Amino acid sequence: MNSALQKVDHSALRVNQAMIIGLSLISFVLNLPWLAAFVFLVMTYGTVRRQPGFRSVYAGLLKPRGWVKPDVINDNPEPHVFAQGFGAVVLFIGVAALFLNVPVLGWGLVWLVIALAALNLFVGFCAGCAVYYWLGKLRLPGFAKTPPPGTFPGMRPRGS
Amino acid sequence: MSAEQLLVRLAMAVGLCLLGIAAYWGWNKFQLRRLSGARGRRLLGLEAMQAGMPGILYFTTPDCQVCKTTQRPALNRLEAELAGGIQIIEVDATVQPELADYWGVLSVPTTFIIDSQGQPRHINHGVTGKEKLRRQVEDTRQAGAAVAMPAVQALDAEQKQF
Repeated sequence: MNSALQKVDHSALRVNQAMIIGLSLISFVLNLPWLAAFVFLVMTYGTVRRQPGFRSVYAGLLKPRGWVKPDVINDNPEPHVFAQGFGAVVLFIGVAALFLNVPVLGWGLVWLVIALAALNLFVGFCAGCAVYYWLGKLRLPGFAKTPPPGTFPGMRPRGS
Repeated sequence: MSAEQLLVRLAMAVGLCLLGIAAYWGWNKFQLRRLSGARGRRLLGLEAMQAGMPGILYFTTPDCQVCKTTQRPALNRLEAELAGGIQIIEVDATVQPELADYWGVLSVPTTFIIDSQGQPRHINHGVTGKEKLRRQVEDTRQAGAAVAMPAVQALDAEQKQF
């Protein structure tokens, strides 16, 4: 069952993805597991608040200066929140592995988060959203939304 | 962390990023090849395109704000600069979703640079600046001229025989 779509600012989502990619890359290159842990905490905070974790970078810095313009699309916000939470869980396991001195697994999972965020940012495919819609097809409670009309599950909607 | 370790990690990061870029580039090439497979017949959506002149097929939607604020103005500036040397075909993906699927459009804005023979040469996912579009149009023109040249030479040789 799909209720009415809401206005979702995809620019805020893209800035969030870019921040996740950028900070995770820096954490890998400089070997800073605590920075990956910081990204995990921000993603968790965003998931709990049901908004992009790095929303403040967009809303407080980039948008007011006109450096990033809003891109408001009729969409379901829930799959994006789920996708961020999914990424946070993967990152948590990665960070835990890093602190438990299993660097191959730890950095491998950090790179998985980078790859999935990059797929969303550059191609417009949200793997976490696709998982959300797939779980919805299995009629799992809490996964009530269906993709916007004419949109492949996980793909960025082309319009209303 | 030693400088050597830092360099190794940096090289790994660059390598993985390049791998991702290569995969993205390969996907775009695959899309172009798939569309070019229809060679010999006019691709859907290009019926209104005037032959012999390159064009830009531009997919947008009424909801797309960056299309209105950034992509359309960039296309308008390019059109003015090239003064009749380019044709722009705009498609509303909400009105023609089948056409968007046919062209493999994943998000808007998406622009395809079409050569003078009606074949797609470049794909741009997302907002593309005027300068990049101009470079792609020039590249398409040069490629078109290179394709047309042997045909002209063959015609010249044929005429010389008579």
